[in-house]
Amino acid sequence: MAGYHQNLDQQQAPAFFARGPSPLARLAFFSALSLALMATDSRLQYLGSVREHLMVVLQPLQLIANAPSMLYDSTNEYFSTHHRLLNENQFLRKQALIQAISLQKMKALTLENTNLRELLAANQSLEEFSQLGEILHVGRDPFTKKIIVNRGSNQQVVDGAAVVDAKGVIGQVTRTYPASSEVTLITDKSLTIPIQIERNGLRAIAFGHGRDNTLDLPFLPANVDIKRGDKLITSGIDGVYPKGLAVATVTDIQTSADSPFARIVCVPTGGIENHKQVLIVSISQPDSPANVSEASYQTGNADTTAKTTAPTKPDAAQVSASKVPVNKTPAAPVPATADINQNKKPANPTPAVITEPSTANKPHAQD
Amino acid sequence: MHKTKLQTIYFSLLVAFICVLLPWSGTALKLRPDFVLLVIIFWILRAPNKCNIGTAWFIGLWVDLATGGVFGQYALAYTVTTFVAVIYQRRLVLFSNTQQLVYVLLLMIISQLTLLTVKIFSGNDVLGWTYFLPSVTGVILWQAAVALGLNTSRPSRSK
Repeated sequence: MAGYHQNLDQQQAPAFFARGPSPLARLAFFSALSLALMATDSRLQYLGSVREHLMVVLQPLQLIANAPSMLYDSTNEYFSTHHRLLNENQFLRKQALIQAISLQKMKALTLENTNLRELLAANQSLEEFSQLGEILHVGRDPFTKKIIVNRGSNQQVVDGAAVVDAKGVIGQVTRTYPASSEVTLITDKSLTIPIQIERNGLRAIAFGHGRDNTLDLPFLPANVDIKRGDKLITSGIDGVYPKGLAVATVTDIQTSADSPFARIVCVPTGGIENHKQVLIVSISQPDSPANVSEASYQTGNADTTAKTTAPTKPDAAQVSASKVPVNKTPAAPVPATADINQNKKPANPTPAVITEPSTANKPHAQD
Repeated sequence: MHKTKLQTIYFSLLVAFICVLLPWSGTALKLRPDFVLLVIIFWILRAPNKCNIGTAWFIGLWVDLATGGVFGQYALAYTVTTFVAVIYQRRLVLFSNTQQLVYVLLLMIISQLTLLTVKIFSGNDVLGWTYFLPSVTGVILWQAAVALGLNTSRPSRSK
């Protein structure tokens, strides 16, 4: 009762003296501050490092938040049945055998391809380097299609790296934090991906649809040679995605008399929303892959951060260094490779996408 | 009772923030109430001297960081919402439970509308009516908290 009266007294105190600046003044001040922040963040690139540092502060909270689901997963795994494990083991062994055979062929083919390209004095295709990441959680904004994976700039993940799963491309790294990175899925409205129709080699650009999990192929004429069931693969001409990865399958084509363009709907091949592990593939190779693949999560290792933030801007020399996968000295490239790079340029008209992290953020953003 | 400690406020905000950080996905993500905003509204009703627009703005920045969107959009939404909450705060504590519930719903919708405006300006398209579901779940959560004995207005005067 006494408390209540005291409370009332407080309520009736003259507002301005009791509460400091008026709410309106506060509103104006903080709104202006937020608007300034938004403008800075969306138009200028100053806040990237600030965000990265604050993410480190957020890391322990994230761990706490993830703990319940991790605990659930691990107990689930612990109690998984013997029978199921045996089945899975058998399946995996079979798969490994099949893949080993195709890998052997692949090695021979790669060698042959290299030789042929040398004979023709053609440009070497870029060597890619990949690492396994695990999805930590789905992006928290239902507006966008994003996932967060547990590999970050500490593990040499760079902005613009392609993200694939066993069946096809699922997205692209759009923001890296020290111990995690944000992947925008190909179904996101802001992501586009250069593709090729597997059947006839027709090149086009696929746009994420945004709302449902589909891709669009806009701006193609109504009489375009695309059929239902055609497979889309990456064309590799952007220098971001490796060539020949499966992207999507055409499920629907509509033409109408009032539009010169066909309306083509495709469904992604990769399991966009149902996998836990993904492969992060970067064409530019920032460091020797040998020590990267062994790197487990070392959060907050200042040394590695310092080392790895530098290679996010690979210059032409480093792209050439990436041709040799187990090259321990990427920092000191052979000078002779410089001229190779010069004639490499026509084949990769847009490697600049990787070289500038700022543009790699939204390399194909449609405005 | 109403002598709320600053630590209590910050601790509750931290807990709400961790709730936001939980790995939500799919339908749960679409239904996820804005825990942080609910806690802020609660403290604005209970302790307007200690939790104010500045607090809301600050915690909004952290939510921005967690969602990974453009910096400042949640901060702006929380600022605008708490402004409305603050100017009606004196009336609000006298409201009955149902009236309060409607008011909280309005506040949550204001926050979402502000966010929507910012997002549309930055090029997103509208998600449809399901976008406002978090406001509804937020109110349900508020009601659940009240039912569980959380005193949202003031020390009880039932006796």
